[in-house]
Amino acid sequence: MKKGLIILLSFVVFGAIAQKKNVPQEADFYEIKTIPIPKEIYLEVGGIATMPDGRLAISTRRGEIWILENPYQQESHQVSFHRFASGMHEILGLAYDNGVFYCSQRGELTKVTDLNRDGIADSYEPVYQFELSGNYHEYTYGPVIDKNGDMWVSLNLAWIGFGEGKFSKWRGWFVKITKDGKLEPFAGGLRSPAGYSFNVDGDLFYGENQGDWVGSGRVTHLAKGDFAGNPGGLKWAKEPNSPFKLTLEEIPDNGNPMFEAAQKVKNLKLPAVWFPHAIMGISTSDILQDTTGGKFSPFPGQYFVSDQGQSKVMRMGLEKINGVYQGFCINYREGFQSGILRERFGLDGSMFVGMTSRGWGSTGKDDFGLQRLIWNGKMPFEIKEIHSKSDGFEISFTKPVDENSLKKLSSYALRSYIYKYQHQYGSPIIDVKDLKIKSIKLSDDFLTVRLVLEGVRKFYIHELKFPGIMSQAGENLLHETAYFTLNEIASEINKEGQGKLVVMESEKAIEPQVSAQVKTVPKSSKSLSGLVSETEAMGLLKKHTCNACHAKDKRIIGPSFEEISKRKYSDKQILNLVYKPNPSNWPDYATEMAPMSHVPAGDVLKIAKWINSLGNRKELENRD
Amino acid sequence: MKYLILLISIITFPSIAQQIIPLKDLSAFDAPSKNWTIEGRLKGSPSDSLFQVSMGEGILLNTLRGGKYHREDDLKFKLKHGDIHLKLEFMLPKGANSGIYLQGRYELQLFDSWNKKQIKFSDCGGIYERWDEKRGKGNEGYEGYAPRVNASKAPGLWQKLEIEFQAPRFDASGKKIKNAIFKKVILNGVIIHENIMVSGMTRGALFEKEEAYGPITIQGDHGQVAFKNIWYETYDLPSISPGKVSYKVFEGKFPDLKEGEAKVVFAGTSDKITQKSIELRSDFLAKFEEDFEVPELDDYDFKTNWTGSGYLSIDGQILNTGAHWYTENVFQKIKLDKGKHHLVLVYAKDFPWGPKSLGVSVKRVGSRWVDLHERTSLPDPEAVGMIELKAESEPVFQRSFFFHKGIKKTHVIHVGDPSGIHYSYNLKQGALLQVWKGKFLNVTQMWENRGEPQTSEALGAPIVLDGKFPIVVDHQNQEDSLQADQLVYKGYKIENGRPIFIYDWKSANLQIEDRIEPNEKGTGLTRKLKIVGAGPNKANLQLVAANATLIDDVQTNLNAINGNEYFVKWKKGKSEVLKLANHQFQMRLPLEGEEFNYEIIW
Repeated sequence: MKKGLIILLSFVVFGAIAQKKNVPQEADFYEIKTIPIPKEIYLEVGGIATMPDGRLAISTRRGEIWILENPYQQESHQVSFHRFASGMHEILGLAYDNGVFYCSQRGELTKVTDLNRDGIADSYEPVYQFELSGNYHEYTYGPVIDKNGDMWVSLNLAWIGFGEGKFSKWRGWFVKITKDGKLEPFAGGLRSPAGYSFNVDGDLFYGENQGDWVGSGRVTHLAKGDFAGNPGGLKWAKEPNSPFKLTLEEIPDNGNPMFEAAQKVKNLKLPAVWFPHAIMGISTSDILQDTTGGKFSPFPGQYFVSDQGQSKVMRMGLEKINGVYQGFCINYREGFQSGILRERFGLDGSMFVGMTSRGWGSTGKDDFGLQRLIWNGKMPFEIKEIHSKSDGFEISFTKPVDENSLKKLSSYALRSYIYKYQHQYGSPIIDVKDLKIKSIKLSDDFLTVRLVLEGVRKFYIHELKFPGIMSQAGENLLHETAYFTLNEIASEINKEGQGKLVVMESEKAIEPQVSAQVKTVPKSSKSLSGLVSETEAMGLLKKHTCNACHAKDKRIIGPSFEEISKRKYSDKQILNLVYKPNPSNWPDYATEMAPMSHVPAGDVLKIAKWINSLGNRKELENRD
Repeated sequence: MKYLILLISIITFPSIAQQIIPLKDLSAFDAPSKNWTIEGRLKGSPSDSLFQVSMGEGILLNTLRGGKYHREDDLKFKLKHGDIHLKLEFMLPKGANSGIYLQGRYELQLFDSWNKKQIKFSDCGGIYERWDEKRGKGNEGYEGYAPRVNASKAPGLWQKLEIEFQAPRFDASGKKIKNAIFKKVILNGVIIHENIMVSGMTRGALFEKEEAYGPITIQGDHGQVAFKNIWYETYDLPSISPGKVSYKVFEGKFPDLKEGEAKVVFAGTSDKITQKSIELRSDFLAKFEEDFEVPELDDYDFKTNWTGSGYLSIDGQILNTGAHWYTENVFQKIKLDKGKHHLVLVYAKDFPWGPKSLGVSVKRVGSRWVDLHERTSLPDPEAVGMIELKAESEPVFQRSFFFHKGIKKTHVIHVGDPSGIHYSYNLKQGALLQVWKGKFLNVTQMWENRGEPQTSEALGAPIVLDGKFPIVVDHQNQEDSLQADQLVYKGYKIENGRPIFIYDWKSANLQIEDRIEPNEKGTGLTRKLKIVGAGPNKANLQLVAANATLIDDVQTNLNAINGNEYFVKWKKGKSEVLKLANHQFQMRLPLEGEEFNYEIIW
């Protein structure tokens, strides 16, 4: 355990820990470029449209469309902003098609045109008017224009203590609108569908935010007639043009996992990939497949999923088994300036990342921002792909793997779990089970590792953590943990499981590391007496992603640790609250904390001890 | 009546603590000059310097009958006041000049300042300057406060004024220890002053020195000015005296607000009621008890605020109850005798969110609110700065949600103009919702934080209009609202920076182009509705220019709407006024060629 921790600590990207030289950081490969925004512009980004002439268009919450010249900052760092359109109502999506902009306002899909070509819009035509109840949570996103020129729009549910879509038509639905204004409902069960896109095969994926009926963030593939899980908008399934019939009464609300409900509710669509809450974001936003042919990332064809609350971009790899999408997610790049809502590729294969924080809160402290994510061509040591096999996983890497590192027990921490499907907001992780390694094979080119596992479970999230795997060049993995959602078990016999059998260092049965973790409260906390050093605490906070929402002395998404220390909870109370948060203790914070019961109690107690020392430290510091 | 006698015995001059002055005759005034009369109705217009007057009651009118500048023409009220809350309506003809002197000493100017861009202390709503000959020639004038904005309406329209005034304070020797304060002045719904302290009497005061009491005085030596609905409240009566508070706190959930067998976890006494005595975050019931002293028999209004649930009882009679958020004011009146009374306030909160908060205040007519709680028992309001949308150099348009007559409309656009003349428009109905002058739009509720209301508000006093699609086929009723398939919204084009709204009026087979812009003189808005197409009813169309309680013909092609709230002016043709049910009137105009064309002036 100790060793594992040391490896982890050396991995930390930010934080107070002195970093070892030459430890690879995300920024060494994936660079973030900031576009300077003139001070008088409040660019709360809602939509981004790349223009084929080298300009870029941005739509904002304040109802404007800005056209940017030199957004790629080629010769000069400065970007010029020109206001093309204004006065609309919260534009959360923008598309540019044949010299015309299409954008979603709260109550309207609008075509915005510059008829006299003077650079300023002079025509605002409704393509479709949406009904609204006046609830603020009825956000409208889109359009995304498909190959046929049809426009896709997603309609957020109202929020009245729970997601409710019955006040106005097609809330909680994906709809397709033709350019002449005909609406066709496509799929239902959405709650907060802020981002979506089509992949190269023309399949539609959308990102969902944790909430009622949504245990954790996720990406779901939607086909016509799918019901994605939140019943708030089911009133409209009664409409004659609904692609499916379903009522709220048919939805089980017993806290069992979603896959159990899906066996009864035939339209209920399981996510392609779960993004475990608080670890892989807290508010999944946009999703984009890397179609740049290797320009944007070392992972062509994979998907890049952004998160509003944690201001980061994650990576998702998909496979299709028995016609069903599934796959893994893994961190990619964090540290953006505000909460990410939009991702769009630029002409050069870089990704424009548009941000807004407003009352939602985000790890990036700015109220809004616009940045570009660029791969500099250097190859990091990363998990490249993960594919499910009938009896485990096949994991490929970007660089040859050091065989010796595969032999260590401590290189693996594998388990699986799932979330509840319930009307309550969010869910703890449930039904946690460790995975046992039966055998490990390494391919002849050292790039692929085949894991045969005991305990692989259909429908579950498989947390695959490789804290010790190193490249032959001695690099640690840039990101060591992936989360694989296994909707279908591959039936074919594994043909690529060839290669060299890796013999573990110990002859003992391979015990996953997880089971070694203490999950109960130690009877005596004497062993934890004395102060926990800030360095150690910071390491733990980073490791368990606490610092995505909390900082030492400032409010991020949750309260600062200093603020928590003022509450004078006991260490044990903190432990209980980490495992079972009580959001009503912090009514001024918009985002509820997720239960973090997967964090070992020993670590939480150390963190608690450190938190509780903050008050005392202050006193000491204040003494002359 | 007993009540009145009591009052008189307390203060030395006859007065009623709160009333609308009955303008049946001039008996409320102290030796009024011949300039002052009581009249029934007035007609005014933006261009006339005299009203058309009809006999009757309810309106106090000044007309210059002798020469100008005779101080005896100033109208003194019999009411001598200290602190006062005064509300009234006034009407000025073109070029008028008058003023209201609080205590006969501190003048708030009334003036025809309609449409003036630069305003001073001598414009309508200004606190007039002070004057001292000793300061030397050219320097006599000092202080004086212009209103924050020009909130004036047109001559010939009724304007609303509200003043909260705090009189100067004197010690026993008669030495002034605190200056007079204009606590708040609101003109036509717009706050134009807040907490302005005046160092002494303004120019033209009736008296030599400041005193604790004085008569309201209206300047009546310049020409016509009219008043109605003069309401005031003074604050000279004694109110209740709070007593010592004792409290008990019980832990747990008490849905029926009964502590039952629960154990007391905290108990004690305090000078005032405060939630800070409850040392629990939630899940408690607190019971406060207090004996207070009532000075004399009267109605007492109890206001409570709490986050959670509770009740207030006086002498065992339960008054205010229910589950509330602390920003909700809950009122309940009770008649109380002189002497001691027993108050019980029970406050329970069984959820941890929201600030613990508790307040109880009492008021009787003729005295100010008395708080029975500590100031810190209720939270301070959130410090959120306004996000203002300005229309300074070019027209600005902005969509938002908007409350029109209490109903949230979701497809609304507000159009602001650098001339300071703005309007709100319902895109779904092709209808004007409101018009206003001054600053443009407060968008804080839309753009601050999550912007949960998603609404915006006019930064000026709006004239609220009917919000209905204005075109009807001759002799047919106007519908309250049209369905989206009857009236199809086709968007707007921008011409000269301003939107032109386009509709496909399916039921009449016609297209409509709706242009609204400031009129030539900048006194209001011109609306032009162009009718395109050849629907069968095209020749028979009418425009509903106003739905109102009253429509008066004041000049050729100029009607006053709602008892001189605003004017409608049109170019050609005869207007038709229909009498509808519910004492409503409807003004209709004919089509001129291919277009309806009218102005709204205020």
